[in-house]
Amino acid sequence: MHILKATDVYKKFQNNEVLKGISMQVDKGEVIAIIGPSGSGKSTFLRCLNRLETIDSGSIEIEGEYMVKNGPDGKAVYSPEKDIAHMRLKMGMVFQSFNLFPHKSVLENLMMAPVLVNKTNPATARETAMMFLDKVGLSQNGHNYPFELSGGMQQRVAIARALCMNPDIMCFDEPTSALDPELTGEVLQVMKDLAMEHMTMVVVTHEMGFAREVAQRVIFMDEGLIVEEGRAEEVLINPQQARTQEFLSKVLMAR
Amino acid sequence: MDYLALLLPFMLEGTIITLKLFLLALIMVLPLGVVLALARLSKFQPLNVTTQFYIWVFRGTPLLLQLLFIYFGLGIIGINIDRFTAAVVAFILNYTAYLAEVYRSGIQSIDQGQFEAADVLGLSRWQTLSRIILPQMVKRVLPPISNEVINLIKDTSLVYAIGISELLRVAKIAAVRDALFVPFIVAAVFYLVMTAVIQQFFKWLENRYAYYR
Repeated sequence: MHILKATDVYKKFQNNEVLKGISMQVDKGEVIAIIGPSGSGKSTFLRCLNRLETIDSGSIEIEGEYMVKNGPDGKAVYSPEKDIAHMRLKMGMVFQSFNLFPHKSVLENLMMAPVLVNKTNPATARETAMMFLDKVGLSQNGHNYPFELSGGMQQRVAIARALCMNPDIMCFDEPTSALDPELTGEVLQVMKDLAMEHMTMVVVTHEMGFAREVAQRVIFMDEGLIVEEGRAEEVLINPQQARTQEFLSKVLMAR
Repeated sequence: MDYLALLLPFMLEGTIITLKLFLLALIMVLPLGVVLALARLSKFQPLNVTTQFYIWVFRGTPLLLQLLFIYFGLGIIGINIDRFTAAVVAFILNYTAYLAEVYRSGIQSIDQGQFEAADVLGLSRWQTLSRIILPQMVKRVLPPISNEVINLIKDTSLVYAIGISELLRVAKIAAVRDALFVPFIVAAVFYLVMTAVIQQFFKWLENRYAYYR
């Protein structure tokens, strides 16, 4: 049973067509890695899934409800704002550049949305926040400000912040690309732990090791199209398409 | 010494006028500047364009001229307001335009990622502004705002033109009457003391905001 479904998504920035008909289906508990060269549209596609970007045509369906679908003229029509807000809360988002709130402590970062948006009482929100901080290995750092933490720690805080909203799907936009190489491991470990608990995850990544180990399915995108998709070991170890082979050989050579 | 004892009470009276004008204008201008900056950044074109026009007019003409327009001009069309009110209104109109641009630069300097993070967490536009963007904006604009505030206290001397007896006017009257330079020196010292207080206040504020980077 799919929890997220995108059909024939098209997206243009001015005259630059970045998504040329992307379809993807995610089952509950599935981990999907989206890989591809920079400029392939993979981040844009992820951002379309929770409407950080709007699409030009196609449809996106979350837990059986349409966030957006084509109108009679073939152009995308979004559902009413109220419904979309509700759907978006089911999706957590982790950014490449963490985007923690620098003027708030770690604990305040985690508690803010539950208290302001879900109207959770602060004591409960605090408990939840502490639980997730513990889960990402930062139970000692609730009082710290983001600038006092390493990049890896900041990204783990960002993951905990998203989890505090109790999402059904977690989206990661190159979560380790801004990190020093020695710090990527701690973030990937947290993500692996999440996958083990059957969190539904869509991960845009350059970490081929992570994709192979954790993702059930890998999607290779290039120039706004899905070139190849399939089980992780098939796509990553035995790619069928020339473009996939070329990309993977470049990425693996660089290691 | 005797002369100073005679002079100082007048100078202090002038200073009180200066401070009243300054503080009244300041408490209005600081929040109004934020409102205007948000209007300037609005995606609603009529609001945005009107704001740009406003800023152009009030930054594009001398403050002294605006003062004369408001005091004498309103009189001509039958609206009579007292000098002091006219002065306060002129300062508010003028400084709001300047502060709006300072605030705007502060808001626009904040990383787009902050808006996006607030957005995906479900915060409303107002919550995003009041909890995430504006608090960070304040830290960034403190140095340019202190510039404007220091300018404001010095610019209050312009109201001599509509006959308000603020500090500089009092000093000038005394200097001419007594054919002495001393009142000007005293006025300079008074201004320096006031600006020193402002500077220290902003230094304290900057320290208060130094808890994060």
